[in-house]
Amino acid sequence: MAYELNDVSVRINDEEILQSVSCTLQEGKWISIIGQTGAGKSTFAKVMKGLIPFYSGEYTHNRQPLPRDCKGNIKVVPQIGYVFQFPEHQIFETTVYNELAFAPKMKGESPEKLEEAIQMVMGQMGLSEELLQEKPFQLSGGLKRLVAIASVLIAEPELLILDEPTAGLDPISRTALLKQLKAWQGEKNRTVLFISHQLEDVAEYSDEVMIFKRGRLLVHLDANELFLKRMELMEQAGLLLPEPIQLLKMIEALSGRILEPASCREEDIMQQVRLTWQSRGLQNGG
Amino acid sequence: MADNILLGQYINSGSMVHRLDPRTKLLSVLTFTLCCLILKTYGGYVAATFLVGGQLLLSGVPAHMFFRGLKPIVLILSFTFVYHLLFTKGAPLWPGSIVKVSQEGIENGVFVVWRVLLLVSLASVLTLTTKPLDLAKGLEQLFKPLSSWGVPVEAFALMLVIAIRFIPTITLELDRIILAQKARGFDIMAAKGHKRAFAYFSLVIPLLITTIQRAEQLSMTIDTRAYGNGKGRTSYRVLKFSRMDYAAGGVMLSFVLLILYL
Amino acid sequence: MLVFDQVDYYYRRGHPVLRQISFEIHQGEFISIIGGNGSGKSTLAKLMNGLLQPREGQIKLDYLNTLNYDDLGKIRELVGLVFQNPEDQFITTSVLDEVVFGLENLRVPRDEMAHRVNEALKAVHMEDYAEAMPHQLSGGQKQRVAIAAVLAMRPSILIFDEATSMLDPQGRSDILDVMHTLHRQGMTIIHITHHMEEILSADRVLLLSKGEFAFDGTPSVLFSSVSMTEHRLALPFAARLHQALGLDTPLSADWKETITTLWPMS
Repeated sequence: MAYELNDVSVRINDEEILQSVSCTLQEGKWISIIGQTGAGKSTFAKVMKGLIPFYSGEYTHNRQPLPRDCKGNIKVVPQIGYVFQFPEHQIFETTVYNELAFAPKMKGESPEKLEEAIQMVMGQMGLSEELLQEKPFQLSGGLKRLVAIASVLIAEPELLILDEPTAGLDPISRTALLKQLKAWQGEKNRTVLFISHQLEDVAEYSDEVMIFKRGRLLVHLDANELFLKRMELMEQAGLLLPEPIQLLKMIEALSGRILEPASCREEDIMQQVRLTWQSRGLQNGG
Repeated sequence: MADNILLGQYINSGSMVHRLDPRTKLLSVLTFTLCCLILKTYGGYVAATFLVGGQLLLSGVPAHMFFRGLKPIVLILSFTFVYHLLFTKGAPLWPGSIVKVSQEGIENGVFVVWRVLLLVSLASVLTLTTKPLDLAKGLEQLFKPLSSWGVPVEAFALMLVIAIRFIPTITLELDRIILAQKARGFDIMAAKGHKRAFAYFSLVIPLLITTIQRAEQLSMTIDTRAYGNGKGRTSYRVLKFSRMDYAAGGVMLSFVLLILYL
Repeated sequence: MLVFDQVDYYYRRGHPVLRQISFEIHQGEFISIIGGNGSGKSTLAKLMNGLLQPREGQIKLDYLNTLNYDDLGKIRELVGLVFQNPEDQFITTSVLDEVVFGLENLRVPRDEMAHRVNEALKAVHMEDYAEAMPHQLSGGQKQRVAIAAVLAMRPSILIFDEATSMLDPQGRSDILDVMHTLHRQGMTIIHITHHMEEILSADRVLLLSKGEFAFDGTPSVLFSSVSMTEHRLALPFAARLHQALGLDTPLSADWKETITTLWPMS
């Protein structure tokens, strides 16, 4: 089970905005996409969903080419969910229930299946059932965002694309949302493509990271590998290191030791740093 | 979609036409429009075409930009042409056929389309060579006398500026919404029957809501910058007729008189 | 000095947004206002320059009062406000016109304008973009133009209402630099934000919770004394590190410096 791009390029108005990108998106991974503004992150995501045509290269799903329309472009891929920036701006139904039901209804789902799907997605996103009859426009910013994302999740996508899903949320809503999504991804063994400028979140949640630079895929590798061993790649892409990683580097330089945290997550790094910090007196003394 | 909208797509080639006072250009377009309405002879049309063509050349705007702006009206023009072709009274050219097409019909159709093309072309020259803000300023100045009658000329001028400024933004927004709804599985083009009507709702409602939010935000920004009621503001851009304006105005006037004479 | 005197505000009767808010802001302070989504932060900002009028109580700026219609022009001149969305606060069609707009409203004589425009654009490092149109600018650049447009009006207080929240890291750090430079030059800065890292360098933090102040003091006291989750906040990295290492030195925004100075000691 994998989505694969082979040497895909995208041109808009004679400008190559994505240049020969090849990659394999494995099932069950949280893959983060990072890079400076204009590096091609969103374009790449839109190509995956089949929203932008590409002029050369191949796109396959489980080694099968994806269906094309009469113009020869890849059709919108229904098994992929796409959460745009500020997804609550796309809400248009009068109740939360209708908003969630819209996509399944368009697909012609039976009423029983629809009920079941709504129950399930509400549970997954930690939304209480009383909300179903509320008007979505009157909900708070954080809740509106959850409803909008739930309306994408209800279609049970194999691969979920999230474009800056936490922008504008307060810290608690932010962590809550990311945790819900991470749990959903883990439980169902789904793939997530997470576009973000928040590198701390990237280090915290990712299995793999793709770095884009000027329309090219600079590198696609394991998150721990990137943040713990190949930090120079971040600099190459013009990106700062997440603060915990900066701390790790600093402590390594000060102590002259190589610390080996279990992962690039803050908790694991803090643990190693704390140990080294506590032992620094002994070290200096001896 | 946003690319096709020429309005507010000022192209700076720094030509002589660009440097003219917006009031000169506005008045010229107005005179020309009036003159076009009474055009009758081939000679008049040819002269008018030379006038518009000459201005296009002088403006230094790349031809493809100009033609791109004409694209949206092609459909309307063809419809107008066919309408005149079929419904103008006159002796049919081919009496036997079902469709009655007369000499007068063809002439009428050609003239109407020609006239609209002339007007749209000249209007395009105006918008392509004049910054929207200057245009609004020109209008404001021309209508200034009305403000002593209680007409809020300044407010209208600001409204015009904002409309010009936000048309591209809102078009982009619509593109974004179409894409986002397509990603959710509502493809407007593919939907049929009542589903299609539903799908339109999914575009119009979000667009309406974001536009209203924008308007609200914008009005707060205007208040924040101490606009007040817009009365008694000073002005950074001062319009001044130069020698070139008098010359251009003179040329325009004599051309119009010539066209009428033909 | 900006004074809130027992201010109440609601949009719908019976649903108070702010309750009995009283505080003073002194010239030259750098104040951060924080609080969860819907805690009333933006409403507070709009009350400060008279975009909204208090339902009860009053808001005074020296001898001016936002309840007096005649004072509003002067208040807007003195209290600049920069909003969240860079796109929706660009009124005109070029950078120059955008900055000039406010000056025309204040009836600044024409020969003085060029100088003030230049000065304002320089302060935000946008002097090379005077002729640029909005669609040619990045979000961060548009936001800097919005700041210049307000700066040209020579305010004494500048409010940033989540002005960094829609920007990428580069745009965000540019805006923060501008903020701190202006503060050093004596401007009063009020910065409303969700980003806990950004409040560490403030002189004073106001925490809004359900329409009331839950805290008013320095950032280091905030992070050591107030429950974060209760007020929908999170500790910034510097504070998390501080706690993890059990440091007893005062919390500083620059955790790197703290680490280097403390390292040799045992």
